[in-house]
Amino acid sequence: MITGTGITKTFRQRGHVLGGQTVQALRGVDFAIPKGGAASFIGESGCGKTTLGRIIAGLESWDAGEITIDGAAMSPLKPKARQPYFRRIQMIHQDPYSALNPTRTIHQTLHAPLKLRARQTGRSAAWVEERAAEVLTLVGLDPGAVLGRYPHQLSGGMRQRVVIARALTVDPEMLVADEAVSMIDVSLRLGILGLLKDLRERLGVSVLFITHDVATARYIGDDGELYVIYRGQVVEHGRVDTVISEPVHPYTQALLSAIPVLHGLEEPGAQPVVPAGGPEAAVDDAGCLFAARCPFRTERCLAERPTLQVTAGVPQEHACFHPERRSVVARPLAEV
Amino acid sequence: MTAVRIDGLTVVYKTPLGELPAVRDVSLELPAGSITGIVGESGSGKSTLALSLLNAVQPPGRIAAGSVEIGGLGDIVGLKGERLRQARGAKIGYVFQAAQNSLNPLKTVGKQLLDLGRSHGVADLRALVREARELLGRMGMDGARVLDSYQHELSGGMRQRVGIMLALVLNAHVVVLDEPTTALDMITQATILKIIREIHAERGLTTLVITHDIGVVAEVADRLAVMYGGRLVEQGPTREVLASPRHPYTRGLIRAIPRLTGDIGLAQALPGRPPTLATVPREGCVFRERCPLRMEVCESVDPPSAAYGERLVACHATAMAGATREETA
Repeated sequence: MITGTGITKTFRQRGHVLGGQTVQALRGVDFAIPKGGAASFIGESGCGKTTLGRIIAGLESWDAGEITIDGAAMSPLKPKARQPYFRRIQMIHQDPYSALNPTRTIHQTLHAPLKLRARQTGRSAAWVEERAAEVLTLVGLDPGAVLGRYPHQLSGGMRQRVVIARALTVDPEMLVADEAVSMIDVSLRLGILGLLKDLRERLGVSVLFITHDVATARYIGDDGELYVIYRGQVVEHGRVDTVISEPVHPYTQALLSAIPVLHGLEEPGAQPVVPAGGPEAAVDDAGCLFAARCPFRTERCLAERPTLQVTAGVPQEHACFHPERRSVVARPLAEV
Repeated sequence: MTAVRIDGLTVVYKTPLGELPAVRDVSLELPAGSITGIVGESGSGKSTLALSLLNAVQPPGRIAAGSVEIGGLGDIVGLKGERLRQARGAKIGYVFQAAQNSLNPLKTVGKQLLDLGRSHGVADLRALVREARELLGRMGMDGARVLDSYQHELSGGMRQRVGIMLALVLNAHVVVLDEPTTALDMITQATILKIIREIHAERGLTTLVITHDIGVVAEVADRLAVMYGGRLVEQGPTREVLASPRHPYTRGLIRAIPRLTGDIGLAQALPGRPPTLATVPREGCVFRERCPLRMEVCESVDPPSAAYGERLVACHATAMAGATREETA
């Protein structure tokens, strides 16, 4: 179980042009990912979802708030003492083309962490060989065909599977997949998403999925939790299927409205929400972070910032003064 | 009227294994005023096909056969040197894949615009700048500010719009967009697609969009062409193809799209992997390795494109099913 409470992070810009300016990447984020569970962080570029993922994977520090891993608080610990905790959390990067060393065979890539693992647990060299084949089989690759190859000899989908296999060598409890399918051919994406779901079911690893494409979040498991992040704040949070089918925050609705409609197969939602301007249009003031782009803002939204809360009749948490269900998602015309 | 007619186009790349075709015997017409989308996985030859429209395939590649007739210009495959250079940009605008990285980081957008104008012998550079400002304004940006900016001062979506501006500012009427929304998030993608549609209609362009994402084509294109292993396997009106795909690859591709609604279990990835230049079968159907309808004839005979109404499909199984249907009718 991994939880975060009130995580904040501020980046200070360097250089003489932007020097001294600060960017608030995270503004008090709470989350909880149970063992074997699934969670997805969604939002547009620059919303802070990747920073949060990196903090959870132990690759980035945070300014305030607390992260606990299996009940142990991380802030009081020295970096060295945090290591065994964060080792249980492994990262899968977006680009499988640059995540693997091009001069090493898959065999060599898997060997390094496995040898370390063998030393830690007092296992033999034979175990290393066995385990390398085992993790490749787990991710749906044929060890005989893959072990001797170099990354350039594999397709994007196969490389991403190798990256996942490498993460599995240290027996992680959680995988953090940051845009793990956005560089993969569309025809193969469901294969990788299905694999992550499968690993949850078979090994009990939890999966944290970070993406800008909401639709992919469903395929990690429909029991998962969805966190919609806007400019460092969680603006809507609930079960994946609830948030997708009945979103109440205008930003979530804008994200869902932006997904291309397969005309001929689907009809567009009746009330699409189109935000004004891009993320650069936003200003930092006392009001709601989304107010500048929100088509439904009122006086109150400009003066006061809503916090994440539960209100009557809405099953998910949201940070909006005027939560309202709108039909934004495209509906299938007929089953194909 | 046809603005672009690609006929029997074959593009080969020189490799240690000999010359291998990346695009093989492709014929495609772009009706004037239409938006056509070409969908294909990595290695399907879609970008090579797009570059052929500029006669810009770089060695070790070359156009081995076929022609690309462009309205008012003739066959661009036969053009060389100065005439070819002038045609690019003036007649055909090209928005490069990752327009985000195709701008010069050392020059402001305005400087690059002036370079473009000078290299094409534009006499009235002031008018060119005015036109650029208007175009940028039309796409929802502050034109004067953008022209004074370096690429690092612009967001991904803004750079993409600058790319579109540079492709259109010389008044090209044929525009090719290679992966116009890759690496953009969903909201920015929706904005760019809307701009592409609107500018296309306002200027009466003929537009070709190359993408791996069928959703992008579904949003913008009137016509859809599906490419696999260097071949066009199916083409027709977008809605028709999406509603009732006839080629097994098109069907598989549509089934593989992660969607917001519907049964999660129905969606599935295509088995196997896309072919590369070296693994594309030399004879027979290019898709047979991954095809659920594979037959004996697919091993040896390349399926010809057959017309079904407005649709062209290159598949033996589809042809047989069609023939049976006609017999029973």
